[in-house]
Amino acid sequence: MEYAIFFLFAAVAVIFALVVILHRNPVVGALSLVASFFALAVMYVLLEAPFLAALQVIVYAGAIMVLFLFVIMLLNLSHAPEPSTRPIQQFLGYTSSAAFLIGLIYYISKYAVTTSPTGVFQADARTIGIRMFEAYVFPFEMVSILLLAAIVGALYLSGRALPAASSSEVGK
Amino acid sequence: MPSNVAFDATDIVLSIVKIAVILGLWLNVTPIMVWVERRGSALIQDRPGPNRVGPFGLLQSFADALKFILKEDIIPAQAHKWLYTLAPTFGLIPALTTIAVVPWGRAFVIPEMHILGRTLFEGGRVFNPIIADVNAGILVIFALASLGVYGITIAGWSSSNKYSMFGAIRASAQMISYELSLTLAAVSVLLVAGSLRLTDVVAQQSDYYFVLFGFLKLPAWNIASPAMWLSFIIFFVSAFAETNRLPFDFAEAEAELVAGYHTEYSSMKFALFFMAEYMAMATMSAVITTLYLGGWDIPWYNEPATFFGFLLSFLAFMAKVSFLMFIFVWVRWTIPRLKYDILMRIGWKFFLPLAILNIVIVAAFIAGGWL
Repeated sequence: MEYAIFFLFAAVAVIFALVVILHRNPVVGALSLVASFFALAVMYVLLEAPFLAALQVIVYAGAIMVLFLFVIMLLNLSHAPEPSTRPIQQFLGYTSSAAFLIGLIYYISKYAVTTSPTGVFQADARTIGIRMFEAYVFPFEMVSILLLAAIVGALYLSGRALPAASSSEVGK
Repeated sequence: MPSNVAFDATDIVLSIVKIAVILGLWLNVTPIMVWVERRGSALIQDRPGPNRVGPFGLLQSFADALKFILKEDIIPAQAHKWLYTLAPTFGLIPALTTIAVVPWGRAFVIPEMHILGRTLFEGGRVFNPIIADVNAGILVIFALASLGVYGITIAGWSSSNKYSMFGAIRASAQMISYELSLTLAAVSVLLVAGSLRLTDVVAQQSDYYFVLFGFLKLPAWNIASPAMWLSFIIFFVSAFAETNRLPFDFAEAEAELVAGYHTEYSSMKFALFFMAEYMAMATMSAVITTLYLGGWDIPWYNEPATFFGFLLSFLAFMAKVSFLMFIFVWVRWTIPRLKYDILMRIGWKFFLPLAILNIVIVAAFIAGGWL
């Protein structure tokens, strides 16, 4: 039963991931990515971590992809921009992807087979919260500062792009 | 979790029964609510309303449904056909599935049943009236609620109509903004309950705050606690924005946008948007009931763990949900639509800081041992 669900949703995730990179329409691509994230969330449920599944959907499908979709729709990109045809770019693209793929296969085959997880797996809100605010509090705070810096930077750039708007009009 | 607890064929049958009950109820919400809305608006505006088809016009909704099915289904030539067809479903699915994590009655022990000499249920099996009792229930609700945006955005974009597009952009901006206040307001409830599981939230509320002279008791519903009033108000108002209901129905705003994101839709596809709106309303009412109004709890009465007790608690739950849905209708026909900038200002500059402040206050109360 669990295997059947796993393979079904693994296939869904892979197929929609392929649609993301192969389809010409960027809106379809963005929506396929949402479907792929959903299939990943099912994987978390199968791993008995519904908390992570819910977070996966909230953060990726509910927040990030909505913004992506907005940008695509507002810029009115009905077709993906033509891929660059300069040979050096194509060469670099193909080699780096190939290197990444080889590395991925190497590490998965090295670790997935020999080491299986031991101990009780817990991924509820309490355990993750305690971990995050005790053992990993420094990286956690660093990430929040990074996000804050990104928000301030985005605001600064968007404000500079509109020189006509006087400071009194901003915020209305 | 399936692998920890014994999970057999009877459990699967019980799950299917639960899903059938809730699905049947929720699918029937739309015709009933359309009738309530039309008669309610007529009552408020002092006119008769639909009163020709059936007693009190009760069968009007069925006539409307038949009309929707028989109308011609038009797909605009410029539309993106696949997404245009799929968009109503994107709107409907989150509204329908959210209810799976909401408990709708008291758990009871199924008595032993024998039919034709065969044991149907062995003794001691507990029927828990919730489809999926996950330990992240409230997060699942917000996860699915955040997906409601896609139905509207995709409908607006795929129609290739500027009014649809404007409606979709307005609606999504509004839903994203109010989702924040909605989620943050609910955090205080979770702090009090100490759990993300909605059955725990209800169990905590079926207790009493204090007992005076042995008979003066105040049910521990979150709405009865002054510390939760702020959170309740924020959640309730944000729920209107989240379901795109007046006074926040900028997605449609007939006077400005023709019909907003579903301008180009006709026939049953349009009806699906209609159903999604009312189901989202029903689901939101169920969530408010569970978080603030004690869920299925009947105050001053201890429901027995039998089928009778379950039935009483289920009726109490439905009564609360119906009451909230009536308030949705009442507000729609009483308060006019706000201006869009006011809506955004309320969301970001008023509700969001207030919701964060509320979390701090409630957390301080809990740390001080007053809650």
